[in-house]
Amino acid sequence: MSVLELSGVSKRFGGLQALSGISLSIAPSEVLGLIGPNGAGKSTLVSCITGVLRIDGGVIRFEHRDIQRLSPHQRARRGIARTFQKVRLADQLTVYENVAAGLASRWFSRASGWSSVFRPLSAKSVGQAVNRALEQVGLGDVSGTVVKSLPFGRRHFVEIARAMVSEPRLLLLDEPATGLTETERERLAMLVKEIGASGCAVILVEHDLELVGYLCQRVTVINQGRHIFTGTPAAAQSDREVIRAYLGMNQLISEGADDARG
Amino acid sequence: MSSRILLIAAFAVLAALPLIFGTFWINMVINALIFSLAVFSINLLTGFTGLLSFGQAGFVGIGAYTLGVLTKQGTPPLFAGLYGVLLAMLCGFLLGLPAARLKGHYLAIGTLGFGILIYQLLTNSVDITRGPMGLIGIPTGVIDKQTWYLVMLAVCLTLLAALAYIDRYSALGVILKMVRHDEIAAQASGINVFAVKLIAFTVSAGFAGLSGALFAAYARFLTPDLFNEQESFRYMMMAVVGGIGSPLGGFVASLVLTIIPEGLRALGEDNYRLLVYGTMVLFVLWFLPAGIGGLIERQRR
Repeated sequence: MSVLELSGVSKRFGGLQALSGISLSIAPSEVLGLIGPNGAGKSTLVSCITGVLRIDGGVIRFEHRDIQRLSPHQRARRGIARTFQKVRLADQLTVYENVAAGLASRWFSRASGWSSVFRPLSAKSVGQAVNRALEQVGLGDVSGTVVKSLPFGRRHFVEIARAMVSEPRLLLLDEPATGLTETERERLAMLVKEIGASGCAVILVEHDLELVGYLCQRVTVINQGRHIFTGTPAAAQSDREVIRAYLGMNQLISEGADDARG
Repeated sequence: MSSRILLIAAFAVLAALPLIFGTFWINMVINALIFSLAVFSINLLTGFTGLLSFGQAGFVGIGAYTLGVLTKQGTPPLFAGLYGVLLAMLCGFLLGLPAARLKGHYLAIGTLGFGILIYQLLTNSVDITRGPMGLIGIPTGVIDKQTWYLVMLAVCLTLLAALAYIDRYSALGVILKMVRHDEIAAQASGINVFAVKLIAFTVSAGFAGLSGALFAAYARFLTPDLFNEQESFRYMMMAVVGGIGSPLGGFVASLVLTIIPEGLRALGEDNYRLLVYGTMVLFVLWFLPAGIGGLIERQRR
């Protein structure tokens, strides 16, 4: 039983083979770490899953359906949500409005019909969902604030709320811990655990390996577009290929895992 | 609450204006109200959705000439106006198909090209439009100016209220603004960016077409020059002075920017008045980069 299944996914940019034959699968509630050195193809893989890029070979199945032909907005409506490495929010709009935009995938679903876009933003159905998402990420107090005046760290959480408001079955977090303070990092870790526990599968692309070691039961390591390892964070440290690809990284993972146990 | 009373008082004054001023001024205000519909079309397209268009006069021309040509052939004005709006929307849709894929300067040039294309068509299709000779005596009947004024005021305020609702309170407003701010994030939130842009082009063209149809019905006289690219720039200037995303600001700006140049005729008939006018516009943009709408917003807070 898997939410997302990739088999033999390849992507080529001109002469550069960005991804070659990547296979992975993720179950509901699982938090899968996706790591690899800079330029390994992590972001390309995220773009292939969300539909920003079309793959050249292989199959991507979401909830057992082939989604290759679907465009990004269609995939979002099916239940794939994401955040971005560089925060992408409408700066001049309020936190509430930004999160409400995440509901678009529901407004445009066949069940609700197009007329739902004319309803007021203050409608109960909108307000409840948005406020729930804001509470979940701990931003209930700033819902009326314009994003521009929020500290950078908190903007990451607005993005997560926007992604979660539509109740996705798969959430892709692209380096969510970048630029966060220590307290915010802890908050993020708790939040991702909660999201996983609620049944949503999470793919966590992250450089903060301590965080990955703490949150993930499994990590997938890619290097130069190739899959080189999938297993527990602890096992990754002793994998020779991982060590070769990513010298020194294994040490950090083990420390992260030890911290989590201790 | 006090702002609401202020608003009602403002409308009362607006509705009573024809009793105070003479025909010359009423005529001008009616024209300004008709312009404001074209400015709304820019508020919707450029202000909310972020699509720059320098071809709006083309849609205005399509609406105007459809009404003009059809009523001269015996179609009742109301239907002719409706056909004008629908034809403008169809053209907006067709222009949107390629234009919704363009960005920035390319979009600006593409829409500018569309405007020039329509102008050339109106000028050269002499069999249909009589070209530069103009379409004279459009049989829409003589309605007194007071009535025209009140009808136009009602139309403008209704559309203004609808746009303000969409802008401020509706889910649709957030969707449009998401597309303007960040297309990639909009897609990731399940918004079909291309479809939204296409709809924005179509509806915006409808507003502009309505402006044109009403102009033709009111003026009962058309020449292609009324719809050249300079008019597109004028609409854009009104929208910018009004604050690009603010329909209320655009409404005020179209009134003010139509009336002031006429009022400046007191300075004499030579071109000094244009110098004064241009300087005033520059100063507005210098001190109010968010336009009149930005000023209203600041007062509200």
